[in-house]
Amino acid sequence: MKLITATMILALAAGAASEKRILPFDYEIHDFPNGLRLVTVPTPFPNVVALEIVVQTGSRNEIEPGKSGFAHFFEHMMFRGTREFPPEKFQAVLQQAGASNNASTSDDFTHYYTTFSKPDLETMLRMEADRFQNLDYPLPEFKTEALAVLGEYNKSIANPFQKLNEVMRATAFSKHTYQHTTIGFLKDIQDMPNQFDYSKEFFRRYYRPEYTTILVMGDIQPSQVKGWVEKYWGSWKRGDYKAPVPVEPPQDGPKSAHVDWPSPTLPIFSVAFHGPAFSDTEKDTAALDLILFLGFSENSPLYKKLVLEEQKVDILAGSNPDHIDPYLFSAFARVKKREDMDYVREQLLSTFAGFKDALVSVKKLDEVKRHLRYQFALGLDNSEAVARTLAYYIALRRTPETIEKLYESYARLTPEDLRAVARKYFQESSRTIVTLAPGGSR
Amino acid sequence: MRIALAFLAMVWPLSADLRTVLLPSKSPLITFRFVFLTGAADDPADKPGLASLTASMLARGGSAKMPYSQVVEAMFPMATSVGVHTDKEMTTFSADTHLDNLDAFYAIFRDMILEPGWRAEDLKRLREDGINNLRVTLRSNNEEELGKEVLYNAIYAGHPYGHHNLGSVTGLQKITLEDLKSFHRTRYTQANLILGLAGGYPASFLARVKKDFASLPPGKRDTVERPAPAAIDGFRLTMVEKQTRSVAVSLGFPIEVHRGHADFPAMLVTQSYFGQHRNSAGRLFDRMREKRGLNYGDYAYIEYFPSGMFVFEPAPNLARRQQIFQIWIRPLESPTAHFGIRLAMHELDRLVRMGMTEEEFQRTRDFLSKYVNLLTKTKRAELGYAIDSLYYGIPEYNKFVKDGLAKLSRDKVNTAIKKHLRVDNLHMVVIANDAGDWKKRLLGNAPSPMTYNSAKPEDILAEDKIVEKRRLPLKAENITIVPVEKIFE
Repeated sequence: MKLITATMILALAAGAASEKRILPFDYEIHDFPNGLRLVTVPTPFPNVVALEIVVQTGSRNEIEPGKSGFAHFFEHMMFRGTREFPPEKFQAVLQQAGASNNASTSDDFTHYYTTFSKPDLETMLRMEADRFQNLDYPLPEFKTEALAVLGEYNKSIANPFQKLNEVMRATAFSKHTYQHTTIGFLKDIQDMPNQFDYSKEFFRRYYRPEYTTILVMGDIQPSQVKGWVEKYWGSWKRGDYKAPVPVEPPQDGPKSAHVDWPSPTLPIFSVAFHGPAFSDTEKDTAALDLILFLGFSENSPLYKKLVLEEQKVDILAGSNPDHIDPYLFSAFARVKKREDMDYVREQLLSTFAGFKDALVSVKKLDEVKRHLRYQFALGLDNSEAVARTLAYYIALRRTPETIEKLYESYARLTPEDLRAVARKYFQESSRTIVTLAPGGSR
Repeated sequence: MRIALAFLAMVWPLSADLRTVLLPSKSPLITFRFVFLTGAADDPADKPGLASLTASMLARGGSAKMPYSQVVEAMFPMATSVGVHTDKEMTTFSADTHLDNLDAFYAIFRDMILEPGWRAEDLKRLREDGINNLRVTLRSNNEEELGKEVLYNAIYAGHPYGHHNLGSVTGLQKITLEDLKSFHRTRYTQANLILGLAGGYPASFLARVKKDFASLPPGKRDTVERPAPAAIDGFRLTMVEKQTRSVAVSLGFPIEVHRGHADFPAMLVTQSYFGQHRNSAGRLFDRMREKRGLNYGDYAYIEYFPSGMFVFEPAPNLARRQQIFQIWIRPLESPTAHFGIRLAMHELDRLVRMGMTEEEFQRTRDFLSKYVNLLTKTKRAELGYAIDSLYYGIPEYNKFVKDGLAKLSRDKVNTAIKKHLRVDNLHMVVIANDAGDWKKRLLGNAPSPMTYNSAKPEDILAEDKIVEKRRLPLKAENITIVPVEKIFE
């Protein structure tokens, strides 16, 4: 442990702004014959262990009509127990361990995470193995849990950004399952109590070793962890299902939509372009990440103009989330006065166009590269946070190495690369604009 | 009054030296938490929002040397920025930086706090941000947080804690640059400052920080007591009329327990047993969501816990001299909301009457004695908790909690429950459509039978028969209906 401590601190100290490896600790990968993958990462943070179980299924896998939101609902059902560990017992074990435990679902993956003290690791691996293999819930509990999901939908209904996201996806995508959000459409959520049989099918399809990666991080001994995973997860049966996720055809012209918000709020302008699938080998993902910071971060000329100088906008942001299949690069602005919406629209669109026309300066590019490396380093202050970051990349490529590759890509990018990628993706024909304001669109 | 007196007994270092809380280590990640013991409770009555706007002008308004856009430009390659939070008694400036950038970051940070820019254009922007945060982000776009904040405002009406930390719209509109400068001059003093630092900063660095911050006016430590909040007479209800499809509910009342109080460990166990935040082990969660599917979650609190919908662990440096006991019922579907409110009251009643069993007590205590480690899993949090411990005059938080838990018994906890909790004389906030209709329904106390989409066990159905008839002791004169547009104005 001491050796690792020293290595890590040296790596952190020297590595942040340099071109060296971004991850300041070693990891091991072990593939089991049934397709299950184990990633172990010992860290110098004492006593605490973070366990992440990543299943490569999410709302992307909701391929049948009427099933939007199901991956997330199923995540809830994973807490409804087995014969050996009914919910009360599952809960009691977690409570006795003083564990923090939860799960979340996104477009591409579902992950189950628990943070606890190291003496409880074997118990946790055993209990988790049981629910992943022997989940068994009765119909009444299934129907009750569907109502909790409706409650989860309700908690965010006042948030216009949630609605904006829903409408943006539904407008920009015509075939792919990314056209619905992870929480799903209200009508599908209201129908969930009737989908008991489908829930069993969902479990049979996706809760399989070949979809699953276990990440164990913290105060651990990898060989011991491997032994426990072999013991409790080794007999889990491999599945044979592959979801026929529809391919999104190229968009053939600009689209737009307006959300008529029922209560007072500031108007929001948002614009998205179809982007690439995540890649750690092609330049596209990395180049768009840099454009995101250059174009729409607090340090961007657009932010300085609209938020600080002209003060026409109070929130400006962009997003380029990594996805298994091609997703959206988007930017939005919350506008203080409705009469400025056209002006703000023109400013955002000309920012996108600017990346196609002009080369960004090498100095600005280097600043973003430094920012990304320091941002990563500053997040490495506890096992749970690191595990959460690694889980995100494991969901994409089942290995932490993808982070290294991505940061190597950042380091290599030139102004010409950014312009080429902007020209490739920021085309009017693949653009979708969604506005939100009380009352109709003008 | 008993509440405030406990704070006079706080042990502060006697030397005139600046107070520091230090967690040195070998990590190249350096964490700053500079806390001024001043906040929204020090706002002038006619200008609520002054403390918060002053803090924003420092953290997001640039220094005399650098306009804010230059601050952002300089900090961007370091991937750092200055976070700011104003609560009732504390204003916290926080940042993390890598050792590589320590000197460059600190030079800017120091100037931001000590020599603010006070530019009129920044005031315009940050004033508008404050107003939009109140009117739009909170009032229009987040019913859960709105319910909690309205509850605090109602319980502390007429008290220094009786307005939102950001102030009010009219208060923010009145504040001038001179007001801000004056607040900075009088409240940002050495006496009010706690310097918190963690990580592998060089020894000479601390001396430099102390020397720089010794340029602040010396000031005096506050010995002013906060008045006790007015006693709540009866079951009070504030109905917020808002266009929405669900029903958000918060309820509570002041308690004399805070982190320095002898009953804090007992009430911590109670909070955890009854409604541990975002944890499915809590009794309320189990009875309302798990068994009946009424909503997404139901929790209980003995300390202020903002942004509960976004975070799992409480943020540090929200220390207060007075706290409330609070139940947060996440949005209910309208047809079952009346039943949900009754069930929450039924459970509170049961808690007060029966307390917890020996098994429940032991289980909750075991949980907390381990869970407390997770609260300080980052240096950032550890530093924040250490500053709060200094404020409350208690030992290091983990030790304080573990020692306190070790000395507890089930009887002590149940005695504390009876002493501090109650089902009468409380305030409830309900955010819903059709407030007038709701008022009639709640006043009428007609049964609100539950129907389920699936078979339920006999014990649940039998309990429902009792809950559906539970009388809420409301009187028409204790119900206030507020259109949402009026809140925070």
